[in-house]
Amino acid sequence: MTPATLTYDINSWTNAALDRAARRDEPAWAIAQRRAAAGNARALGFPSRDQELWRRIDFRTLEQAFPSLDPFRASPPTRNLDDLPPPLLERLGGEAGRIGLVVQRNAGVVVEQTAPELARQGVTVCSLDRALVEHADKLRDRLGSLIEPDYDGYAALGAALRTGGAFVYVPDGVEAAVPIRLFHWLDGAGQIVAPRTVIVLGKNARATIVEEQLSDSGAGEAIAFHLGGTEVFLGDDAKLVYGTLQEWGGNVYHYSNQRAQIGRGAELQWIQTVLGGRMVKTNSYFNLVAPGGHAFVHGFMFGDGRQQFHLHTLQRHLADHCTSDLLIKGCLKDRARSVYQGLIQVAEGAQRTDAYQANRNLVLSDTARADSIPGLEILANDVRCTHGATIGNVDPEQMYYLMARGLPRNEAQRLIVEGFFAPVIDRIPLEGIREHLRQVIQRKIG
Amino acid sequence: MSIETPNLDLRDSYTEKYGFHDAEQSVFKSRRGLDREIVAQISDMKGEPAWMRDYRLKALEIFEKKPMPTWGPDLSTIDFQNIYYYVKPTSEESKSWDDVPADMKRTFDKLGIPEAEQKFLSGVGAQYDSEVVYHKIQEKLEKLGVLFLSCDHGLKEHEALFKQYFGTIIPSTDNKFAALNSAVWSGGSFIYVPKGVHVDVPLQAYFRINTKDMGQFERTLIIVDEGAFVHYVEGCTAPTYSSDSLHSAVVEIIVKPGARCRYTTIQNWSNNVYNLVTKRAVAYRDATMEWVDGNLGSKITQKYPSVYMMEPGAHGEILSIAFAGKGQHQDAGGKVIHCAPNTSSKIISKSISKDGGRAGYRGLVKVQKGAVDSRSTVNCDALILDEKSRSDTYPYMEIEEDRVTIGHEATVSKIGDEQLFYLQSRGIDKEEAAAMIVSGFIEPIVKELPMEYAVEMNRLIQLQMEGSVG
Repeated sequence: MTPATLTYDINSWTNAALDRAARRDEPAWAIAQRRAAAGNARALGFPSRDQELWRRIDFRTLEQAFPSLDPFRASPPTRNLDDLPPPLLERLGGEAGRIGLVVQRNAGVVVEQTAPELARQGVTVCSLDRALVEHADKLRDRLGSLIEPDYDGYAALGAALRTGGAFVYVPDGVEAAVPIRLFHWLDGAGQIVAPRTVIVLGKNARATIVEEQLSDSGAGEAIAFHLGGTEVFLGDDAKLVYGTLQEWGGNVYHYSNQRAQIGRGAELQWIQTVLGGRMVKTNSYFNLVAPGGHAFVHGFMFGDGRQQFHLHTLQRHLADHCTSDLLIKGCLKDRARSVYQGLIQVAEGAQRTDAYQANRNLVLSDTARADSIPGLEILANDVRCTHGATIGNVDPEQMYYLMARGLPRNEAQRLIVEGFFAPVIDRIPLEGIREHLRQVIQRKIG
Repeated sequence: MSIETPNLDLRDSYTEKYGFHDAEQSVFKSRRGLDREIVAQISDMKGEPAWMRDYRLKALEIFEKKPMPTWGPDLSTIDFQNIYYYVKPTSEESKSWDDVPADMKRTFDKLGIPEAEQKFLSGVGAQYDSEVVYHKIQEKLEKLGVLFLSCDHGLKEHEALFKQYFGTIIPSTDNKFAALNSAVWSGGSFIYVPKGVHVDVPLQAYFRINTKDMGQFERTLIIVDEGAFVHYVEGCTAPTYSSDSLHSAVVEIIVKPGARCRYTTIQNWSNNVYNLVTKRAVAYRDATMEWVDGNLGSKITQKYPSVYMMEPGAHGEILSIAFAGKGQHQDAGGKVIHCAPNTSSKIISKSISKDGGRAGYRGLVKVQKGAVDSRSTVNCDALILDEKSRSDTYPYMEIEEDRVTIGHEATVSKIGDEQLFYLQSRGIDKEEAAAMIVSGFIEPIVKELPMEYAVEMNRLIQLQMEGSVG
């Protein structure tokens, strides 16, 4: 298949990325990785719409806008937290200093803080750029090992350009004493950012990490593009609670790859919310590589206006006695559109697998559209694999019940939608964030 | 399909029961391969009107242009130029078994067709390689105006009606294999049931491939007029050859307002047949279309019968069983497309895989803009009998309306140890217990089959299960 023609000068971008990396003293292997990725990105081009994962979402407007995007937009000078954008500070809610914190603004990280407790425990929380210099040994076999280098043209381009991202390392047996929060902020339009984040939990380590993506509201047609990648490594018996909350402004295109490798007896609890952005595409893979691993995945998306979301998940059972439980809820109004495309794969020999996958969709307007494609590929026989998907509208009887008790129509609808999302919101680790999400949902229902 | 014959199919003993073949003695056999000349030759041999000849040639161009599908099972081993596209077994289609050439008659006797016809069928068609060699319908149905002919005779004798519907449900541009069928089709059934006529016992067609390296491309067109009912049953077998055969049918069904059509397939091709079939029905106001699809044989099957619900009140149902044994890949499923308000559909799929086989469900539920108050439920259950086998489920749901109720559920499991223990503790041996559990698993679908087929299906499953539990 011939790749779609690139609309921009990829060589000048990737060469600039290599220069920048060399100036920052990135290790040679990391620079080689960028160079290889650049080759892949050139060869793969933009993904073709014939590809199964690209048939249902259209990035052409973004691709046409590529020449106008700046891949290395500088961060404004930041002397202390007060220089951060007010909405971000509001979200931090005065917690800074008591938590582990990395804030990325545009192409670079502007704040890196490790709470004293974390530092004492030997927990590392810093920018990926710093980690490549100071903790290169911990990244050497990990960075780029889970996101397939030739996964698609965008993933390859992201690896070549790589701007920013965070590194979290929790040593064996350590339970990180305070939460770790990672922020991404975009100023306005006309830029592309490609952060890569690596999270490593050693044997029997524990941590709670929340990642939030925000931008100024960015009205108008000008585009910004977030091209992210996250790689999570859980050692044996480790446990990670990881929330990713995406609330970009309406001008942002979002494409990201998340990969998690879950060790023997380890547990990942991943909560994903998708609220912002113009077009959003995520591919999240959960690799259960050793017996006894658990992956709990809960997500919700709420689309309005002309937002389009495409969530792809893959529960990969590569070893026996693992459990995965996935629930993705979607709510759509106006002309929003969502696609959930999920797959459970059970490899040969992965006996005693217990895998569940559910996708529930609530469609609030007759111009919205939800597609659901849950799949199973099972190569072992002693398994229990179940999936379910539903698409429906607000139950008129529930509405009637609430309205008969004097609630106006939109209030009744809000209650029903909140109830629909509650099982996911309840799993989000920090109460402040839970409250914030309830407000966002309320605002979206209008 | 061999009904009430003592020995039934078992994949291992398939060769013995169904896998035999007659000496080849066709009256005409096209040369191997496919080109304009062959397509024109088929049309000339059949003495077709010019429009059909043109239609075939155009379809050939489409076939040549369309790429092979990039999804689903691997079809790269099909050698289109090594296949005989047209093998004419006799010079004439018979209305009496006595006129069928002795060899072929013996074949159909062995398969139990004449006996079944006498016992419980309204009409029978028997296709041998490319042509229908026997066709008969009960006189009383003929008098009511029911047409049950080979598709070739349908074109010859009822050209206006044929032309009105042929290719309207599945155009030759639909997919590569529909284009291929449109270019080289031969045989199949043409059925018309007039307004209000209920054909209360099934019509049956039996498809047999005899020649080695042969492609069978039957074409079926069924029109069920307002308020009428028909149940059409088809069965298929082929000899076991070391080289592969290709079966690529196109079935088009029109179910007019208030009518009901049920189409039952028991596909039991030998393990060297590629079975790539396009089946589609349109159902109008308050009409019901039901597909009952049993896939037991073939090397690779790709078949997703579909129902387009065009007007309010239409209902579509797909019941699918796929059993994949050694070396088999059953990529079965179904599609329901809701094009009008207040339409409903149901898909039930049961797949079983064993001895390294791969069985799956691939399906689509689509609700088009404006099809409000549509309801659809999909249930897929899979049973994997050993650790070498594989099960896939790929359900697609594309919903463009909000006032709808759509649900999908699927489970994959093995035979429960507790179920086995329960049965064994009551003195049933393990093998029999496993067969009972599998029979119970597919029961919701088997109970929809006509009695004789239900018995047959259960025995097929039992025999497939023989020796399966260590």
